[in-house]
Amino acid sequence: MAPLLRVEASTKRFGGLAANRDISLAMEAGEIVGLIGPNGAGKTTLFNCVTGYMHPDDGRIVFDGRDITHTRPERICRLGVARTWQVVRAFGRMTALENVVCGALERTNRVVEARVRATELLEFTELRGKHDAPAATLTLADKKRLEIARALATRPKLLLLDEAMSGLTPIEAAAAVQLVRRIHEELKVTMCVVEHVMEVVMPLSHRVVVLDYGVKIADGTPQAIVRDEQVIRAYLGERRAAH
Amino acid sequence: MARIALVIGAIAAIVYPIPLQLQGTTYYQTVGFLVLVNAMLGVGWNVIGGWAGQFDFGPQVFFAVGAYTSALLYVKLGVDAWLGLPVAVAAAALICAVLTYPLTRLRGHYFAISTVAIWMIAQPIGATWEYIGAAQGLFIPVKPRTGVLASALSLQFSGPTKAMGYYYAALVLFAFTLALMAVVERSKLGYYFRAIRDDQEAAEGIGIDSRLYKVIARSITAAVFAAAGVLYAFWALSVFPEQVLELNWSTLPIMATVVGGIGRLWGPVLGAVILIPISQIMSTTLGTGPLAGRGIDLIVYGLIIIVIAAFRPTGLLSLPWSRWFRPGPATA
Repeated sequence: MAPLLRVEASTKRFGGLAANRDISLAMEAGEIVGLIGPNGAGKTTLFNCVTGYMHPDDGRIVFDGRDITHTRPERICRLGVARTWQVVRAFGRMTALENVVCGALERTNRVVEARVRATELLEFTELRGKHDAPAATLTLADKKRLEIARALATRPKLLLLDEAMSGLTPIEAAAAVQLVRRIHEELKVTMCVVEHVMEVVMPLSHRVVVLDYGVKIADGTPQAIVRDEQVIRAYLGERRAAH
Repeated sequence: MARIALVIGAIAAIVYPIPLQLQGTTYYQTVGFLVLVNAMLGVGWNVIGGWAGQFDFGPQVFFAVGAYTSALLYVKLGVDAWLGLPVAVAAAALICAVLTYPLTRLRGHYFAISTVAIWMIAQPIGATWEYIGAAQGLFIPVKPRTGVLASALSLQFSGPTKAMGYYYAALVLFAFTLALMAVVERSKLGYYFRAIRDDQEAAEGIGIDSRLYKVIARSITAAVFAAAGVLYAFWALSVFPEQVLELNWSTLPIMATVVGGIGRLWGPVLGAVILIPISQIMSTTLGTGPLAGRGIDLIVYGLIIIVIAAFRPTGLLSLPWSRWFRPGPATA
């Protein structure tokens, strides 16, 4: 079976700096892939290329059999890719419910239908009781859940979570991990999870891809990744790796 | 509570000119007409400015398109105002869509500036284009009509009932616009416009084509301005560039919207009801007499707007009205 997402030798430069250099990876339907790397490794740039906010200078991105290398974000969403943002981007002046309704309207023109779907998703993401709160007044943890609910409302095949757990308390982060598991099991959505904290990604992911300075340095099971020399060096530095 | 206010407001708007008419005055009917025209324009501007969050300072171009289209149809082809109205509205929406699509690449202040630029380009075109009468413009001849019905159907009122006739014509157009925008607000369009206003990138990420929906929003605004332009042309009986392309056709509705409550359906209505009579009263009281010609009326008018903007930047509609008007305070 062809992979759901295929990134082929994708390169994205900003002036002289290659934020992504020659990155290739594939994601099968049903996987949870962890994408990790130190700050500035190029994780968000890769997300931006896959979701159409940026277009690679070289290489190709294929989703579900279609070349989306130069496709605009709203069309990529229509094809079945949804994302959340590292710095939350809730629609601040709209209520929580309205935020999710906007997402659900991607698959229907009827507001009544979209509201039903949005209500279900607010239940699913445990935001019940906050329907009518303006999104700007929610806590960070709730805003991140709201973004996930809004993304899910577009009925994605692939969901990209950009640091959905960063900035959360340990309890909130544990709840977020639980939510990711439930999305995978109950909604059967393929997921790519970006984190720079290894501890969150390892127990969650079926497979882990590691970026460093814009280059893919490892791709394998979490067990293999934690023992990988290059990964340890990237995270902990040269001296520790030598010991 | 809101329902009661709506019914009272509607009855007041319908009854308003009758006692005045019986007294034999026409001035206040004309003030009412201007309130309704500006309220209608504000409700229209709210779509692009309040919901979609794109500051448009050039909608008066489409007011002019509406006025000219209906005047041309009437003068050159003998088409009545009400028949010309849908043509004028469609023409304005279409022209707006074509002009606005390239502008949607621009954001924030740059979008706002570009809408002003289009207005500046429209002025010399209006002043020099011979077909539409250049600087002299077009004059709309009054055909004698017998009876109220004939006047209403041709949108040509004259004599002592002129002011009242146009007041009711404006009321009909205003009410229709408001009802239509209430539907738009609750539709997919209303949700998408506000999503783009709050965060354009996030909106695109959930499948919203931001450029398309900005064009739709501005074309709805243009359609409302065109409809008001038709009404104004037949009221003024003439259309010329300095009059229909006047900056006030955007600044007054925008001020009404901001003072009343931007992004709220009824905001511009409240704003127009407060601001337009004040400006009229200022110019007939402070603008005449010993201080005439010194612009005292405009200074006082400006101060009132500044005070409201400073103390309630989210608009008067955002004041806690429901708390104030809750029946019966708890303490005796």
